[in-house]
Amino acid sequence: MRASLGVLGLALGSVSALLGIVVLAWGLRRNDARFLRMGRRYAFVLLSASALSVFAMEWALITHDFSIRYVAENNARATPLLFTITGLWAALEGSILLWGLVLAGYLAWMAYRFRNRATDPMVAWAMIVGFVVALFFFALMLGPANPFQTLANPPADGRGPNPLLQNHPLMAFHPPMLYLGYVGMTVPFAFAVAALVTGRLGEGWLAETRRATLVAWGFLTVGIILGAWWSYEVLGWGGYWAWDPVENASLLPWLTATAFIHSVIVQERRGMLRVWNLSLIVATFCLTILGTFITRSGVIDSVHSFTESPIGGWLLGFLAVVTIGSVLLIAWRGDRLRAPGRIDSPVSREAAFLVNNLLFAALAVVVLLGTVYPLLAEALQDRRVSVGEPYFDRMTTPIGIALLFLMAAAPALPWRATSGEVLRRRLLVPAWFGVAVMVLAAVAGIRDLWVLVTFGLAAFAVGGIVRQFALGLRAQRATGTSWWAAPWRTVRGGPRLYGGLIVHLGVVAIAVALAASSNLSTKTETRLEIGQSTEVSGYTFTYVRRDVVMTEQKRSVKAQVRIQQGDRDLGTYAPAVSIFPGGMSGIGTPSVRTGILRDIYLTLISAPTDRDRVTIGIAINPMVVWLWIGGALMALGTALALVPKSRRIVGPTSPAPTADSVPPATDAPDAVATVAP
Amino acid sequence: MSDERDPAGQTATWRSWAPWVVIAVVVIAVIAWAAQPRGVPTPAERARALAAQLRCPDCESLSAADAQTSSARAIRRDLRERVAEGQSDATIRQAYVERYGEAIVLEPERRGLGLLVWGLPVAVLGAGALGLALAFRRWRGLERRHATPDDEAIVREARRDGPTP
Repeated sequence: MRASLGVLGLALGSVSALLGIVVLAWGLRRNDARFLRMGRRYAFVLLSASALSVFAMEWALITHDFSIRYVAENNARATPLLFTITGLWAALEGSILLWGLVLAGYLAWMAYRFRNRATDPMVAWAMIVGFVVALFFFALMLGPANPFQTLANPPADGRGPNPLLQNHPLMAFHPPMLYLGYVGMTVPFAFAVAALVTGRLGEGWLAETRRATLVAWGFLTVGIILGAWWSYEVLGWGGYWAWDPVENASLLPWLTATAFIHSVIVQERRGMLRVWNLSLIVATFCLTILGTFITRSGVIDSVHSFTESPIGGWLLGFLAVVTIGSVLLIAWRGDRLRAPGRIDSPVSREAAFLVNNLLFAALAVVVLLGTVYPLLAEALQDRRVSVGEPYFDRMTTPIGIALLFLMAAAPALPWRATSGEVLRRRLLVPAWFGVAVMVLAAVAGIRDLWVLVTFGLAAFAVGGIVRQFALGLRAQRATGTSWWAAPWRTVRGGPRLYGGLIVHLGVVAIAVALAASSNLSTKTETRLEIGQSTEVSGYTFTYVRRDVVMTEQKRSVKAQVRIQQGDRDLGTYAPAVSIFPGGMSGIGTPSVRTGILRDIYLTLISAPTDRDRVTIGIAINPMVVWLWIGGALMALGTALALVPKSRRIVGPTSPAPTADSVPPATDAPDAVATVAP
Repeated sequence: MSDERDPAGQTATWRSWAPWVVIAVVVIAVIAWAAQPRGVPTPAERARALAAQLRCPDCESLSAADAQTSSARAIRRDLRERVAEGQSDATIRQAYVERYGEAIVLEPERRGLGLLVWGLPVAVLGAGALGLALAFRRWRGLERRHATPDDEAIVREARRDGPTP
């Protein structure tokens, strides 16, 4: 029943995507507005259909319908409700179901957003591209990755989700956020292809997808940060990023998308970099497909490859079609893509964006090579090799430092050209601030070169950001705004500028956290008996007692450890090891005392024995919390950048020209419709 | 912008540069101080550095320094012993490669295909930087032209949505 309902939804989805393609193509060919208007409506049918199949799956999960194979493999009667619901994305087939729903949601949003321009060939082509992508994923689900496969002999109880996936509530948020980001990149990709096909290669498609790209980018950012947080809170090795292939797979599209949202500003402003921007968005989309391939085909063994399945070939084929098709399209339109622009000076905002793009591209190359090299070595030379943290750290740290410097200095650069004098004046106070922080950090006893440089550049960047805000506030106050209304009105006057600066502030926080936690953390292991204490970095750790907690879901053994600093009691923390029914080995759960300057990270290395002995791992991780704060700031800044610009408010003044003072990029009638809020 | 022959202008230029000279000196001093080698690493530091370069055999991406599995702990213990015995870093690494195969090392080797992984990003950066430098040179060489009304019309047309077929 539930399986039939699910399959019905999938079939309906496939048919509506197919009909959407056919009807729109027919309308374009015949130039018939009725067909074009009808075609877009299939997006809403698609959304309903995928909602139906997701509903069927959730229903089956919640009612523990083990006649469906996916439920039997990813759910058990003892699974708590939260992890029963999140069971939808606990394995490949369910994840694609969610993928389909998110894609259908974005397509329906596109159909709604451009409802008044349904007859515009650009919009029609973008919808067709979206439908093609949807058709691929729905066909995948009807074929090799069918989530609704039934079992002839349903087991009495299911296997339950992978223990790691039912250990922390973050599992409810990390994958959906990541998918919202991944799949959202389909929207700018669809418009880029539409621009190529229709030959309208100006700035129109950029303006139309700016918001969608930002939304997708914001979700991707949050998804990655939440993944790191989950890793930190669940996996128990004390870190948050292992350069695991699957983590890299989520980082890759983020890198190219980040390059894209910077370089489109140059195209909006100067009409340059057309091929480059098209390539970046195509690359971003391809990397999301590659990411899915890496994550879900089991091709690279990794902690995330919970499943292996035959869909690898399908994904790889789709990836090849998309890549080759896009390259051919760009080559075909090559003559129209040449932009007659020039950049006047290497010391200008647009030049800084070029360097930014070069650095992000280099980062993407590093991450891509490091991720696929083991595959290449195995395929070409039949050798097993590993690439891990030492390689990635060595390669990414210098590029990251260069990017941090650029992020600090570039927002002060004017467009076109500048005199050194202006630049020196604008950067002086931020530079003093950076130097002061660097010296203070050295005086405070930090001797690590990378940490000192990062701290100095971070302060330099913060100085620049504060300076820009101060200028904006002063201009706003000068118009007679009260001091308490000024900040919001300042942001409303230039949402892209100030939203972007807040995102940068988040990046600064993350850079500081990365540098401090990866270079200044300490880690020890101690064996303790009940009542015994040990001292690490000025903290006293006492093993108080052993607790055993039995639930239907799992059996946990906890070691209660009291932490004291001098005479001050910091509370009792309980790292645990849990045994799940059906699980082979125990799953450790760390216990973290989060602090603004340092986390105390406790793990159980060996479960407490009956003789009341335990081995605990104690790590002091400085400033990790700033990763999560930085992620929140990035999300906030992205949200602010989406706020419509208020035309009644004075914008940022001329000393700091902004992306928002761009003259309207187009004056075609279609652009007017999209600019209107 | 100051006129070179104007003493007052020179003073102004010097004034705007002076703080930057101070900043540069301080930054270089701090970096030089931090980059100084800090004596011989202790045996524990050496063992840890080695562990960070080796993969934990029963994990996927973690190093033996980070992982908490029993094999990672065994490797850490073994590394401490080997360091205490006075084996050199190269000997220890070689011993591990012989025992576990080259997949135990977390870095690509610096020859053959591995050279690509190390070299390509650098090559991309270099080529990109060179390309940018050439582009700026070319742009600089172009005479700066002022737009005629005709040009502006063309730009408007181009910006609308690219040329129409």
